[in-house]
Amino acid sequence: MLIDLCAYSNRWRAADPAAKGLFALSGLVSAFAAGNPLAAAGIGAIVSGMTVWGAGIPFSRFFRAALAPLCFFLLGALSLACSVDYRTGDFIWLPGGWTPVGRLAARSCGALASLLFFALTTPMTDQIALFRRLRLPETLIEIMVLCYRMLFVFSEALRDIHTAQDSRLGYASPSLALRSTGNLAAVLVVQVWQRARALHLGALSRNGDGVLRFLGPVFANARRDMVFAFAGSALLFALLAVMP
Amino acid sequence: MRRVDACGNENGGVDAPCPALLEFENVSFTYPDGQPGLDKCSLTIREGSRNALIGANGAGKTTLFLHANGLFRPQAGMVRYAAHPIDYSRAGLRRLRGEVGLVFQNPDQQLFSANVREDVSFGPLNLGLDQKTVRERVDAALDAVRMSGFADRLAHTLSFGQKKRVCIAGVLAMRPRLLILDEPMAGLDHAMRKELLSVFDSLYGQGITLLLATHDIDFAFRWADRIHLMAAGRCVAAFDAENLADNAEALEEAALPLPDIIGLRRHLVGTRALDDSRAPRSVPELLDLLMQRSI
Ligand SMILES: Nc1ncnc2c1ncn2[C@@H]1O[C@H](COP(=O)(O)OP(=O)(O)OP(=O)(O)O)[C@@H](O)[C@H]1O
Ligand SMILES: [Mg+2]
Repeated sequence: MLIDLCAYSNRWRAADPAAKGLFALSGLVSAFAAGNPLAAAGIGAIVSGMTVWGAGIPFSRFFRAALAPLCFFLLGALSLACSVDYRTGDFIWLPGGWTPVGRLAARSCGALASLLFFALTTPMTDQIALFRRLRLPETLIEIMVLCYRMLFVFSEALRDIHTAQDSRLGYASPSLALRSTGNLAAVLVVQVWQRARALHLGALSRNGDGVLRFLGPVFANARRDMVFAFAGSALLFALLAVMP
Repeated sequence: MRRVDACGNENGGVDAPCPALLEFENVSFTYPDGQPGLDKCSLTIREGSRNALIGANGAGKTTLFLHANGLFRPQAGMVRYAAHPIDYSRAGLRRLRGEVGLVFQNPDQQLFSANVREDVSFGPLNLGLDQKTVRERVDAALDAVRMSGFADRLAHTLSFGQKKRVCIAGVLAMRPRLLILDEPMAGLDHAMRKELLSVFDSLYGQGITLLLATHDIDFAFRWADRIHLMAAGRCVAAFDAENLADNAEALEEAALPLPDIIGLRRHLVGTRALDDSRAPRSVPELLDLLMQRSI
C-alpha cells in the first residue's frame, strides 16, 4: 500500500487535514480554472514541489503513485490528438491543433498533483475524520470506514489462504496453480462473508447500533497549518492572475 | 465494624457468599447446521470473583460467552444477569452490553477501525459518554494494556498480541462490571502475560468480576477463585479452585490433567518435606513454603 505508506510517514503527517484539504482543493480549482496551459502546469509543478520537498515524499514514490493516472491521461490526450473520420475512414492528426491537447494535459496534471498531494500526505483515517467534520452523509463515511478496514482484512485473508496453499505445493505446477486459484476464490467468498459477520458481532458486543462512532484526532497546530494553507492557496491563485 | 466485602457491599463484617451476577440455567443452543453449541448448560458467576472456564476445543466456551453478552439467545433455558432474566429488547441489550464486556478470541473480529485510538473509543462513545470522558478513558485503557505508544498506529500493522491488547483496551474503556475474555493469554508473550495478569489483578481489586476461557489448568488453579469445566457443550462441573484436588474425576472426564503443582505437593508431603496443612497453588508459593521450612 504505497499511498498508505506515504500518508503515514511524511513530514506533514501531523498537520491539520483541513489545511491540507484546503490547499489541495485550491490546487484543483485553480488548475481547472487556468485558461493558460502554462499556468496550469505551473500550478501542478508548485503542488508537486510541495509534496516532494515540503512533505518530504520521495520522488520515486510520488512518481509511482502518479504513473497509473498519468497513463489514463495519455490515452485521453491521444483521443484528442487523433481521430478518424468515420465517413471516409481517413485518419486525422490533431484535428483541433495542439491547443486543446496541451490545455487538457496541463489541467489534468495540475488536478492530479493536487489530489495526490492530499492522498499522499493525509492518512485515510484523518481524511475520514475531516469528512465527518465537514458533515458528509454518515452512511457514506461508514462505507469508507468499513471498506478501508475490510481492505486489509480481505488482503490478509487472501494472503493467508495463498500462503497456506503455496506451502503445501498448491502452486507447484500450472495445472495445480489453476486448481488452487479456483479453490482460493471459493474459500475467499466464504471467509469474507464469515469475517464480515464476525465483525458485525464484534460491533454489537460493544453496543454498536449501526452507527460507527469514533473519536477524531486532535491537531495541535491547526491554526498555524491553516495560515500556511491560505498562503499556499493565495500563491496558486496569484499565478492564475499573472498568467491569464 | 463496617467493611466492604468482595461484592462491594457493606455487610457489617459478615462473610456471606456474594450474589450471583450471571447465571445460566439449562441453556441449550444448536447452530443452524445442527452442531450442538450448548447442551443444558448451567453455571453461576458470583459478583467480584475470578472465574476460569476450561474445556477442550469445541467444548462450547465461545458459544457460552456469546450468550452472556446477549449476542446469541438460548433456544431453551434461561440466562439471568443480576438476578433478572436478560431482556432481549434493544434497550435491554444496550444495558447488558454496557455492563458485560466481551473480548473475542480472534482480535480481527473486534477491530474495525483502522486506527487504534479510534477503535478503543468505539465502545465508550456508544455508551453515550461525552468526548472528554471518552478521551480520558481511551488513554487510561491503552495505558492499562501498555499500548499508549501505539495509539496512532494502524490496526493492521500490529502483531497478533498487540491487536489482542488493543481489543482488551476497547472493552476496558467501557468499564464493564463483568469482564469476559475468550482465551486472553493465547498468543501473548511471557512478559505480556504477566502484565495482563497484573491488569486482571487490579481490575479484581476494583471489584470487577472476571471470567476467562483458558486451556491452561496450571494457570486456572493459580489464579481463579472458581473453576468451571465444559465438555461437549455441557457445563460438567464447577468448584472452588482450592478444592481442585478433590475433583480429579471431573477433570479426567474433561480430559484434563491435574495441575503439576498438586502432584508435586503430594510427593513432597509423602516424603515429609512439606506438612499436610498447606496447599500451595503456584510454584513460587511452594518455594516460599519450602524456604520457610529450611530456615
Ligand atoms: N458458526 C458456527 N456454525 C456451526 N457450528 C459452530 C459454529 N461455531 C461453533 N460451532 C460448533 O459449536 C461447538 C462449540 O464451539 P465453540 O466455538 O463454542 O467452542 P470453544 O470451546 O470456544 O472451542 P475453542 O477452544 O476451539 O475456541 C463446536 O462443535 C463447533 O464446531
Ligand atoms: Mg472458542
